[in-house]
Amino acid sequence: MKEGFRQAMAWLHTWIGLIFGWLLFAIFLTGTMSYFKAEINRWTHPEIPVRSVPAAASMERAQGYLQQNAAGAPRWFISLPDDREPALEVMWQAPGQEGRRGFMRKSLDPQTGEEIQTRSSMGGEFFYRFHFQLQMPHPWGRWLATAAAMLMFIALITGIITHKKIFKEFFTFRPRKGQRSWLDGHNAIGVLALPFHLMITYSSLVIFMSMVMPASIIASYGDNIQAFYADVFPSTNGAKATGTPAPLTPLMPVLSAAQGQWPDGTVGRIVVNNPGDANATVAVFRSAADSVIHDNGVALIFNGVSGALQTSPTPRSGPMLVSGAMYGLHIGEFAGPLLRWLYFVFGIAGTAMIGTGLVMWLAKRQVKHAKTGVLPLELRLVHVLNVAGMAGLMVAVAAFFWANRLLPVGLAERSDWEINAFFSVWGLTVLHALLRNGRQGWREQLALGAVLFAGLPVLDVVTGGDYLLASLQQGDWVLIGFDLTALVTGVFMAWGATKFRPVAPVVAATADAQSAARKSRQPDIDNGQLEGEVN
Amino acid sequence: MLLATLLCYAGFTALCLSMSRHHGELLRSKLSVKRGRLLKVLGWALLCLSLSSALSADGWGLALVQWFAALMASALLLVFLIPFRPRLALILAAAGLLLSPVAAFNQLLV
Repeated sequence: MKEGFRQAMAWLHTWIGLIFGWLLFAIFLTGTMSYFKAEINRWTHPEIPVRSVPAAASMERAQGYLQQNAAGAPRWFISLPDDREPALEVMWQAPGQEGRRGFMRKSLDPQTGEEIQTRSSMGGEFFYRFHFQLQMPHPWGRWLATAAAMLMFIALITGIITHKKIFKEFFTFRPRKGQRSWLDGHNAIGVLALPFHLMITYSSLVIFMSMVMPASIIASYGDNIQAFYADVFPSTNGAKATGTPAPLTPLMPVLSAAQGQWPDGTVGRIVVNNPGDANATVAVFRSAADSVIHDNGVALIFNGVSGALQTSPTPRSGPMLVSGAMYGLHIGEFAGPLLRWLYFVFGIAGTAMIGTGLVMWLAKRQVKHAKTGVLPLELRLVHVLNVAGMAGLMVAVAAFFWANRLLPVGLAERSDWEINAFFSVWGLTVLHALLRNGRQGWREQLALGAVLFAGLPVLDVVTGGDYLLASLQQGDWVLIGFDLTALVTGVFMAWGATKFRPVAPVVAATADAQSAARKSRQPDIDNGQLEGEVN
Repeated sequence: MLLATLLCYAGFTALCLSMSRHHGELLRSKLSVKRGRLLKVLGWALLCLSLSSALSADGWGLALVQWFAALMASALLLVFLIPFRPRLALILAAAGLLLSPVAAFNQLLV
């Protein structure tokens, strides 16, 4: 009975892992990159200078700019520069326009208050959006990503149940043993970083709670979903404009009053509702870097004419704190450099766990066809998707960054062209994987990725060397850090490519056992030893 | 976070050595029952100590996050070092133990 249960769980683990594996790989990879969203944005917009300007001074510049350029707007948004995002970001809703379309966004130089002329690029925002919207029309991408998260959660739980020897093999990794090594690696990465995997998967469900788990909301609020959002985000519920003009209070004293309320915190975002109206309010939000608990709804509200403090945030209830903590843990905004890198490493671990699982699925089934060397159609399809879904995606990511540096700055709809480059290259890798045979597909795509990634630093020096030099003179590590990370990624992919050297089948079995496992020309795989996965 | 990481790594190494297969692989000697038990107790004690050191360094929310990060990072490092650089894996644990009083003193000062 017990074995029957375990087998059923193994079956579920295997097939969820296969069907959603490629999607989850892409979600995990882009999500991992999103921990460095701000840093990627820096690299894709090298024109943004690094300045250290006191918050009060940049606040004054922002107000001046908005009063000149967005006087009639119903709402202003101001993000002060911080360690990770050196530009002063202002955004406003164009008058008379509701919804997302009407938003204008500008990056200002906090020192001069002038617009920074940057190349148009989505940068890190693209990978971040792709992570949960999958470049699909709203709300389909979110639904699909959420479904994938739910299945990832099931795959994790069934994976734990399937794994018989969690403690006995806790420290076990045996390299150069073919399929054994892949399973060891899959298990080790899965078990050792399990707290991260569980946290990241469960919290993603909490983030999209209103989509996946609406029962609790409906039970308390009935059909009135707006009331739920009003409770969660009390401070964005601005009062209506009266129509009576009144000058907006200077924002600099408001900022220092807010800072006085939070002696050990920093101000993140400022929202001005109805600027220039008698009913104006200023909402000051705390920086997300301040606390593990992420809360978009808590703000100090000031009167927009007198500048006096109107309302302080009420303490949040326990469940709100838990969901805020889940959100905060998922996005890791609070993490300093070291912790952020660890987040990145664990994200790669999650990506690798999915990747090793996909490789194993195919390797196991290829064994039967080792003699003929011809794969049936369904296995061939899995092979193509494996190559293009993993190596091909990496090539496409590199292509995005190449496009960022090579497309002319003045090109119309430039940022869309970067995204087009990403998807075109990804599509081409599918084509390539279809046309090329087994090991060749892997080798060539990994090699291409290696060249593209390792070439990024060179490309950066050639096309943006001045920016790089200027940032280094300021003691700023972000741009060079990106280049070095790209270089390391390239070296890693080159190492992967050497594992697929063209070798005679017999030699492959002995000399290069690890890569032979992927191709499975190895005649004597000890299936009896492969615990865990029964299928 | 440094102290917690050093203690985590040393704790996992002790737990690893308390298993006869890894003990033989790393130290090339047979593991006695008594020694195995001692290593197990030592390993768990070090992990507990690491948690308490993390909690004493920061507020409990951030401290727990940092401790889990240290836990996962040190376990991953150890497991993937053992097959490739077994000696280095042990040296790191020893160095971690030796350094931990310094790190503890440092943590008290800050």
